[in-house]
Amino acid sequence: MKIKRLTALGLVTVVTASTALAACGGGGSASADGKKTLTVFLYMNEQEQEIYKNMIEQFKEAHSDTIADIDLQVTTQSEYNTTLTGMMTAGDLPDVFYVGPESVQDFAEAGYIENIQPYLDEMGVSTDDFMQDILSSYRFDGTSTGSGDLYALPKDASVFAYAYNKDMFDEAGLEYPDPNDPYTYDEFVDVCKQLTKDTNGDGEIDQWGCGMANIYMLYQFVWSNGASFLSDDYRTVTIDTPEFKDALQKYVDLTLVHKVTPTVEQDASLGVYQRWLAGQQAFYACGTWDVAAFMDEETFPYNWDLCAYPTLETGKTVTWLGTVGYCVSATSENKAEAVELINYLSADADGQREVSGITTGESIQIPNLVSMAEGEFKDAVADGTVNYPSNVDVIFNYMNGTDIYEGRFQEATYTPNSEWIDLFFEGLDNVKNGTVTVDDYIADVLPDMQDSLDQAWADADANAAATAESAAE
Amino acid sequence: MSGADAKPVKKKMSKSERREHYWGLTFVAPPFIGFLIFMAFPIVFAFVASLTRWNGINNMMDNFVGLQNYIELLQDGRFWKVLLNTVIYMIGIPLGMILGLVIAVGMNRKIAGIKILRTMYYIPVISSLVAVAILWMWVFNYDYGLLNSIIKAISGQHGPNWLGDEVWVKVSMIIFMTWKGLGTSIILYLSGLQSIPRDYYEAAKIDGASGWKLFRHITMPLVSPVTFYLLITGLIGGFQVFVEVLVMVPNGGLNYSAATVVFYLYNQAFDNRQMGYGSAMAFLLAIIIFIITAINFKGQDKWVKTVD
Repeated sequence: MKIKRLTALGLVTVVTASTALAACGGGGSASADGKKTLTVFLYMNEQEQEIYKNMIEQFKEAHSDTIADIDLQVTTQSEYNTTLTGMMTAGDLPDVFYVGPESVQDFAEAGYIENIQPYLDEMGVSTDDFMQDILSSYRFDGTSTGSGDLYALPKDASVFAYAYNKDMFDEAGLEYPDPNDPYTYDEFVDVCKQLTKDTNGDGEIDQWGCGMANIYMLYQFVWSNGASFLSDDYRTVTIDTPEFKDALQKYVDLTLVHKVTPTVEQDASLGVYQRWLAGQQAFYACGTWDVAAFMDEETFPYNWDLCAYPTLETGKTVTWLGTVGYCVSATSENKAEAVELINYLSADADGQREVSGITTGESIQIPNLVSMAEGEFKDAVADGTVNYPSNVDVIFNYMNGTDIYEGRFQEATYTPNSEWIDLFFEGLDNVKNGTVTVDDYIADVLPDMQDSLDQAWADADANAAATAESAAE
Repeated sequence: MSGADAKPVKKKMSKSERREHYWGLTFVAPPFIGFLIFMAFPIVFAFVASLTRWNGINNMMDNFVGLQNYIELLQDGRFWKVLLNTVIYMIGIPLGMILGLVIAVGMNRKIAGIKILRTMYYIPVISSLVAVAILWMWVFNYDYGLLNSIIKAISGQHGPNWLGDEVWVKVSMIIFMTWKGLGTSIILYLSGLQSIPRDYYEAAKIDGASGWKLFRHITMPLVSPVTFYLLITGLIGGFQVFVEVLVMVPNGGLNYSAATVVFYLYNQAFDNRQMGYGSAMAFLLAIIIFIITAINFKGQDKWVKTVD
């Protein structure tokens, strides 16, 4: 009994990994008639699944002479990394799976993902019509990402934009935010104050100007104030600069001083995302993946539109971008077919029309092809074929960058792991509820963050050195 | 049987004996092979991993660091913090045992509906841990939770932010774990109580003992094997608490106040890709559990009685 218990415990990690392995058998293979079976492992929500399953079915039919079957395994985003790690450990990777820009280098160096550039070149595929900033994040030149050969093609490019509830503005008799002239912080606070009220007269606030989810919405304040979490080489934590402290102060002041957001306790009862859906907050974020849901009357029965995050010192409104890409396993036996499949999933015009809503009306992402995004897609938004808020340019502004708009990846994208940033957010609610001051908090948390980051880099550097050494042997 | 005797016997094994051996081995083989694959191999694997900076994707042996993970672990403030959290949660073990014994004594009699009552107490044990943890998240909800609604109705004051406060989150977890484990202690104590011969009580009563004395000097010593079993399993299980934390406070709580050792281990291994470090933590935890269990077994002679 005792021994069994002990063993069971010693193995928590490994058992989890091995279960994951068992769940996903065999990579690609060829059947007797020479036709190939491709295995694909992705995470998706239900809406995406329906569309992508269809697309994959069509691809299979169009290539029935070479492809016997495509085995699509879908999981949730939260399970994905654990399962994939298990597959890698077992040396049993599917032909096609996702990779984020943060992992391209790790996966490529460890020999898990294939350089797909030669295949694309041979197929004569042009990648000029992709958004180049997004595409570059999948390039790797042997030492760093951002340039060189492609190791993946984007599945999507997403923007975490801002949104407002039009009905609340109408009711308060306020002018709608102008995407071409973003609010300054003070203007934002002023508008929020006018939208924060007790609507049923019970003496308690039940409608707020905005709601801030720390891990998604502090960046916008920090970056717009000219501050950042890390130095340019991503090795030093820079949260003790005056700009950072000022940005954080302004961020928590929304809750502490101006009281235009739910309190930390209220946030614990019902999250700010739910409160936005329930029509309790005038402003909330809208990721490109949220649009279909927000446009759905049942999920969100209010009129709304996109707008810009308020600007701080730099006068620029900044938010973070996201992307995930399709890659091909370096151990796949069907690389050419796999590359063909990912090119189709990433760039096929009909497929892109589906996911962006040009044909379905419901948009879960903007088209990967710039010509389509700027042309067909915008037209479809304008004439109402795609259910989309009219300020769609906000998305494109963040994506492409303008004089006043900017989009970037979160700093953790460029670090070996993200523990250092998790440490920052872990106790932030204590600042938000006034228990700890900004200065004290930063003084307290910075050394831990730096330690964690140092450790992560030291490991990464040691690993890189070891890899180089064994490659040289 | 001495070695000298055994040898000729072995040689002259009859056909039926050999068949018996063969079948014996056949029946033993599945669990043994299972043990090798699912226990022995992973243990060795995890131990080797614990000596490296394996991150799940790099080459494990290229990143061999010896005992560095263990040394770092002992200096890791967060490890001690989560270990303390884990130990604090164990307050629920004696609480659960006392409550379990009291309820078991109450149920150890023939009253109408007793079976329904026993079943009710056992339901949490057979329910999915994830499902009941989600349920309790709602019980603990700050504004809309059952608990705070009751507190407000009775006292007029707003109750605490159960899962969002560094101290109350521990109270919440202890309440949840006690509730979850209560069914097991009740059932085990009930069977323990029913195996106590009635004449012990009758004899004691004739000698003038009553109420508390009967309980203290007959019931408690005679259910002590059950208490011992519950203590051992409770402690071992207590060190491995993970799921309820992951479900109820997925970020580990404000300032990591709700995180347990296994939660931290999982975080390091899978979220921060420090498989080696996570494995080292798993081993250190196993050693801690081993020592505590050994101490328990050593100490049992002093208080665990058996009826013979």
